[in-house]
Amino acid sequence: MPVLLQVSDLSKRYQDKNYWLNRKEKTALYPLSFTLDSYQTLAIVGEIGSGKSTLAKLLVGAEKSSTGKIQLNGQLLTKGNFKQRCQHIRMIFQDSGTTLNPNLTIAQLLDEPLLLNTDLTPKERTSLIRTTLQQVGLLADHMNFYPHMFSGGQKQRISLARAIILQPKVIILDEALASLDPSLRAQMINLLLDLQQKMGLAYVLISHNLGIVRHFSDNIMVLNDGHVVEAGKTQAVLHQPQHKYTKKLLMSQFFQIKR
Amino acid sequence: MARDKIYSEEEFPSPLLQLWFNFKQTNVAMLGLYGYLFFLILAIFSPLLMPHNAIESNLDLILLPPSWDKLGDVSYLLGTDGLGRDILSRLIHGATLTFGLSFIVVVLSLIIGVLIGSLSALTQGIKSSIFNHFLDVILSIPTLLLAIIIVAILGPGLSNTLWAIVMTLIPQFVHITHNAVKEELSKDYVLASRLDGASLLRILQYSVFPNIIEKIVTQATLAQSAAILDIAALGFLGLGAQSPLSEWGAMVFNGLDLFYIAPWTVYLPGLAILFAVLTTNLVGEGLRHAVKMRKES
Amino acid sequence: MNLLDIRNLSIELKTKSGVILAVDRVSLTIKEGEVRGLVGESGSGKSILAQAIMGVLDDRWQVHADRFHWRNIDLLRLTPQQQKELISQDVAMIFQEPMACLDPSTTVGEQLEEAVPNCQLSGFFWQKASQRKRAVIKLLHKVGIKNHSKCYHSFPHQLTEAFCQRVMIAIALAKKPLLLIADEPTAAMETTNQGQIFRLLASLNQLKNMSILLISHDLENVTHWTNTITVMYSGQFVEAGTTEQIFNTPYHPYTKALLDSSPKANIELPVKSRLTTLPGSIPLLQHLPIGCRLGPRCPRAQKSCVQAPKTTNYHGHLVNCHYSLKEDY
Repeated sequence: MPVLLQVSDLSKRYQDKNYWLNRKEKTALYPLSFTLDSYQTLAIVGEIGSGKSTLAKLLVGAEKSSTGKIQLNGQLLTKGNFKQRCQHIRMIFQDSGTTLNPNLTIAQLLDEPLLLNTDLTPKERTSLIRTTLQQVGLLADHMNFYPHMFSGGQKQRISLARAIILQPKVIILDEALASLDPSLRAQMINLLLDLQQKMGLAYVLISHNLGIVRHFSDNIMVLNDGHVVEAGKTQAVLHQPQHKYTKKLLMSQFFQIKR
Repeated sequence: MARDKIYSEEEFPSPLLQLWFNFKQTNVAMLGLYGYLFFLILAIFSPLLMPHNAIESNLDLILLPPSWDKLGDVSYLLGTDGLGRDILSRLIHGATLTFGLSFIVVVLSLIIGVLIGSLSALTQGIKSSIFNHFLDVILSIPTLLLAIIIVAILGPGLSNTLWAIVMTLIPQFVHITHNAVKEELSKDYVLASRLDGASLLRILQYSVFPNIIEKIVTQATLAQSAAILDIAALGFLGLGAQSPLSEWGAMVFNGLDLFYIAPWTVYLPGLAILFAVLTTNLVGEGLRHAVKMRKES
Repeated sequence: MNLLDIRNLSIELKTKSGVILAVDRVSLTIKEGEVRGLVGESGSGKSILAQAIMGVLDDRWQVHADRFHWRNIDLLRLTPQQQKELISQDVAMIFQEPMACLDPSTTVGEQLEEAVPNCQLSGFFWQKASQRKRAVIKLLHKVGIKNHSKCYHSFPHQLTEAFCQRVMIAIALAKKPLLLIADEPTAAMETTNQGQIFRLLASLNQLKNMSILLISHDLENVTHWTNTITVMYSGQFVEAGTTEQIFNTPYHPYTKALLDSSPKANIELPVKSRLTTLPGSIPLLQHLPIGCRLGPRCPRAQKSCVQAPKTTNYHGHLVNCHYSLKEDY
């Protein structure tokens, strides 16, 4: 059975804008490869500038990669072809304040991906929006509200609804849980786990909170300065970190798994 | 027995309605809005509202004082000027010229400025800089001087001053639009729209423009008060509206020679200019205040 | 000796639709040389409480308390002006996003020089400038910035967030305070830098015997660095005690739920299992429940929870609950 998502030799280089005559090339991400299956979560851990946000943007198609290819179910994803990608790979952003357009109601917000990518009639679209909102734990009446009436946790749920409404296979969580309160974070984690079981999703979790990473992920990849420093199964890496950067990361969060 | 509302329902209006409610709270801004609407109605319906003809001279009734003076006549409510024309009708006709023209000027420069500004925000690098800054040279020349230069080239007349003032107002809109659109494009919901496969036009229509319209409208009210003053100033200098057109600035100029014997020919148009600028500024200030209140709540 | 002794402090907010009780009878004591953590989620009123201690709330807020003592001086008998003068001599505060709290248009060195109070400089007026500069360099060394000349001449936007936070701590230390209130100092930073800032605060606490009030919304982050913890929920006081007591034997259902829902504290949980959480969400300021504000969400709530509970003291471990979990331990 082919794996769901296969990434080979993906890298990103770009020209440094400050030097006009003496063009310097900066490598944001050195070539890396990994595979991901349904019902699995891959965690990407690293500090700011390590390349994890670049990797997220490359996976979702917001930027074109310099080398390498991404294959979904054996099918090559072409660069820049949003319509092909958006049905299968979706993303949830970090800052819930700017993820939702303040001038649109929730119904209009969720309608947009459906309008652009499916051929459902307006009635079918409304009922799909209704069921999706119920799946993420909001009421169907919330369709007619504007984003400023919701709290931070509810806004993240709406972003999650926007992500799952096209029935994707892979969802990328770009530090989506970092700005939430602990109790809301736990509720969101429970919701994500439920959806993973029900819909067979694969998650790519980008986070720096090792507690969530340990609880939520099967495989882990540690990035530092664009290089993959360590990769493997979560339990193995967090139990016995090999690279000194991983050890430093664990020490700074006081993270010790007792045997 | 009627059932009273026991549970207070919380209403959640759209952002635009919220803006309107905040605006309604400030009484001074509402006053300004009523004045603005009054001038707008005068400007549009002036031919129907004028009691007498504003252009034809009537040499029997030269320099009639306003009706509150004992020599005045109530059918010429605000008196007549040096050529026997009714001042009230002239003022109403002048509303079309000064106020109405300023409105058109602002709308024209808004459209051109927003177009250039959006183009500059959507491109990057040198192209963007060129679009953003090539009209900045106009900012360095004072409005009046620019108008005089253009009039010297094209000849005096109201339509030529229109082009001059449109040119001076465009750079402001270019900058405001450029900054606002750049800020909006970096937000996450625009990226989400793009990832959904939305075309550029759709992104602009639904995600970008509804969110920047408030900034542009407040800038437009500022620009309009400047435009009213410019049109009046050019009319006063004789470069704008030519006689017998009853533009307010030209009326002030015409009445200046007769100031000691007939002061009403000067101060009445002056008051009209004052109130027009005041109401425009009040509306702009009220809008800005309402936007700030909405952000805070 | 108790540096700060607050008993039953309430803060009310006057709004168009009535008076809202943002903070409802909270008690707090800080001893000399103690690091106390103040934990509460958003909407718990912890930032308002810190600002009320500093005295920087504006006219919309009304502060009442049974007891508000600073070093055994009763602050309620003084005028607000005198209160502010007394507090600002000995209490300093650092905030959440340090880059936004520094003036972007002047260099860091100039801002530090402004912060050094005049009474610390001695000598003739022509010596004051060089003395000020020396004092600033000493402050930078104290917070661990060895390369002071580069930092002195740079603007805040050229430095990282962790650096700016150290500069803020240096500004706070300039007047040698007895209490430092840290309002979520590391929320905007990466994890390695968070550890550095906490270590700095801990060393300042030990070397200079300075008390710290560490405010955070995450219980698991502060447990390593604090001696005692106070937990707040939605403006009400929930639980207070030493860190071991709170972490190992939480008496209040809310504290227990906080600990259960944090993956870091429950390392033994199997991977991808559900975390136990309280249902529902934090009440809005306009719709606060009467009595104990956790009532609608609490699994142990019963009829008497519509009355606000009184504080009970079990050997220094204070709890505000009618049905605390003490019997389970």
